Amino acid sequence: MGEPLSLLLALVAALPGGGAEPFQQVVPGARAKLEMMPIPAGTVRDAGGEEHAVGGYWMATTEITWDLFDAFVLGQDGPDLPPGVDAVARPSKPYITADRGFGREGYPALSIGLPAAQAFCDWLSAHTGRTWRLPSALEWQHAAVAGDEGPWHGSGAPSADVPRAYDGRSVVGLDAVAWFRDVAERRTHPVASLAPNRFGLHDMLGNVAEWATSADGKGRLFGGSYQDRAEDVTARSEKRPTAVWNASDPNLPKSRWWLADAPFAGFRVLCETAPAADAPLPANPSPEQP
Amino acid sequence: MASKHRTPSAREQLLEPGYGVDRRTLLGGGLALGLPLLFPRSLRAAQGDAAPRPLKVGLVGCGGRGTGAAWQAMHAEAGSVVLWAMGDVFADRLESSRSYLEGALLEEGNSARMDVPEERRFTGFESFRAVIDSGVDIVLLTAIPAFRPAHITYAVEKGCHVFCEKPMAVDVPGLRRVEAAAARAKEKGLSLVSGYCWRYNERHRELFQRVHSGAIGDLQAVYTNYYAGPLGTRPRQEGWSDTEWILRNWHHFRWLSGDHLVEQAIHSVDKQSWAFADRAPLRAIAVGGCQTRKGSEKGDTFDHFAVVYEYEGGARAFCNARQWPNSYGENNDFLYGSKGRATIENWAPYHAIETYGGDTWVYEGEGNDMYQQELDELVASIRAGKPVNDGEWMCRSNLLGILGREAAYTGRAITWEEILNSERKLGPPGMDDGVLEFGAFAHSFDEPVPGEYKLL
Repeated sequence: MGEPLSLLLALVAALPGGGAEPFQQVVPGARAKLEMMPIPAGTVRDAGGEEHAVGGYWMATTEITWDLFDAFVLGQDGPDLPPGVDAVARPSKPYITADRGFGREGYPALSIGLPAAQAFCDWLSAHTGRTWRLPSALEWQHAAVAGDEGPWHGSGAPSADVPRAYDGRSVVGLDAVAWFRDVAERRTHPVASLAPNRFGLHDMLGNVAEWATSADGKGRLFGGSYQDRAEDVTARSEKRPTAVWNASDPNLPKSRWWLADAPFAGFRVLCETAPAADAPLPANPSPEQP
Repeated sequence: MASKHRTPSAREQLLEPGYGVDRRTLLGGGLALGLPLLFPRSLRAAQGDAAPRPLKVGLVGCGGRGTGAAWQAMHAEAGSVVLWAMGDVFADRLESSRSYLEGALLEEGNSARMDVPEERRFTGFESFRAVIDSGVDIVLLTAIPAFRPAHITYAVEKGCHVFCEKPMAVDVPGLRRVEAAAARAKEKGLSLVSGYCWRYNERHRELFQRVHSGAIGDLQAVYTNYYAGPLGTRPRQEGWSDTEWILRNWHHFRWLSGDHLVEQAIHSVDKQSWAFADRAPLRAIAVGGCQTRKGSEKGDTFDHFAVVYEYEGGARAFCNARQWPNSYGENNDFLYGSKGRATIENWAPYHAIETYGGDTWVYEGEGNDMYQQELDELVASIRAGKPVNDGEWMCRSNLLGILGREAAYTGRAITWEEILNSERKLGPPGMDDGVLEFGAFAHSFDEPVPGEYKLL
């Protein structure tokens, strides 16, 4: 993502409140790193139309991939863990093939239950000393709308040939930024293979729907997925969890980590804590180490 | 025939499994079986004077799957199937299952469906006898696979209807005992439903029905896969004997699980067999080994298998299965015929048939809950007095798995005749009656070495 990223960095720096810098986060035991973009302050309307001020956090540029999630689930962060990491519960190893044959390297983690997504954030926080968590619905929507107008997606190329935004009525433009039912061919695709939005975030719409926290504690999935039709792939598109998402888990209690019938459920992470101004990036530990 | 899903209430959402309560799939199952539409009548009867006699259910093996099967049994009719007795080798396993079920039933207001007082909670290796002897009509056999032959033999002897999880046995002598018990169940008019759940999946049923009706012509090849990740382990705890540690990590020991081709990918092998209308193959050739598991708790199973089954007339089936970390995952089935092909993406779910002439059929219905369907059909068959018996084909699928495994272990091409005559028993002598001793247990972490391992 070399060229679009540099374009975006310039764009983000120009946005109000965009003084904060992007940063990279090494994920212990994983080959890939997290790319974090600052989300400038702004306002977002809730479902009732009321405006809320949000901003001042970092969002991952992509959905969490298997490369990152496996490091957590499979314990690849090694035997000598910093204090606190031991206390984070880790998901069971899934009996189902959670990735459904869609792909592993560079593909978004899916079938993820809310507790597993939250535990990943806790694990990352324990490792890094920064605060990682899932976004709230408003934080997620603000990041998805990215300063554009309307409940849809701003494309990464405001004045280029790519149509600027999905207008919520046709698929024109949406296929430049989102994997959805008409174009996804029944599966997810590698993250960041489509244009980012104006905040530099890829796949906010489509591919996997993404967990955000909710007042009732159950969470919601936002942004629609590769399974959804265009009209359900917007920044407002919201899925409430139901028991149907795990109906095929033959075990009781059903897994809280893995959703046997929700291949559309993924997530991305939010970081609350600014990186130290001149902190060098830690070396990526070799994944070959036990 | 697709079942109607309804929107779960807020309370049902709180309680995950509660959603299954009235999601009736029984009518679909009844039609599929050609059974009379008895359910609506018995539902009415349950509310009036002529309520059907409650069916008492015993659970043998209180792990996650057993707890699930117990829940499904208690929801196969509206309140006239009662969980009556529970048994497990370990008290903590029984207790967590019991407290979960009691809590979940309380949440949905169905506490009367469970009546398991302390005197009907049995632990230890012999608990299966106590459960079966407690006066149950149906027994759910969901313990560690290697114990199944002993369990099913006793259950049928005592006149119980049986739900029997897969695999039914880990070796051929064990499977012969299961086969004998299944035949005896047929003589006695007892129902026997297997845990090969895909055969109870509405989507799969529709696709296979079309395949068997000639939609893809003559079947030439079947490719199935089970590319999964590694299974978890339970680290050894202080005070655990060898026996306890091994039992709590049974997946990783081939004498208990049968290895993952027989324990997990057996579902793929079963669908292969279904595609071939349960005809026996001529022989199997396979590769396999263990590449990714190491260390003091790795067990003695392979982590990958690739099997080729050769059928009469030149047709072949290919089954690839493995449990590797950080690797591609897939669990799909592909059938190739002379006129077209069928694609089953089990978890998408996506079920399609494409002919080479350009016609396409895609399953568009709502599907069903296959685990509920298994117990629905078991109970419906008992109520209708028309016993079902999955015995023959379930044993055949199980034997196909053992055939592939032994072909990989030995490195030989093994014929169907040879495997039918295998006398190798994997477990210690106590497995014949399902009773072991706790204590020191000689175990090895050596996987079979092809070229050295003998088919016995």
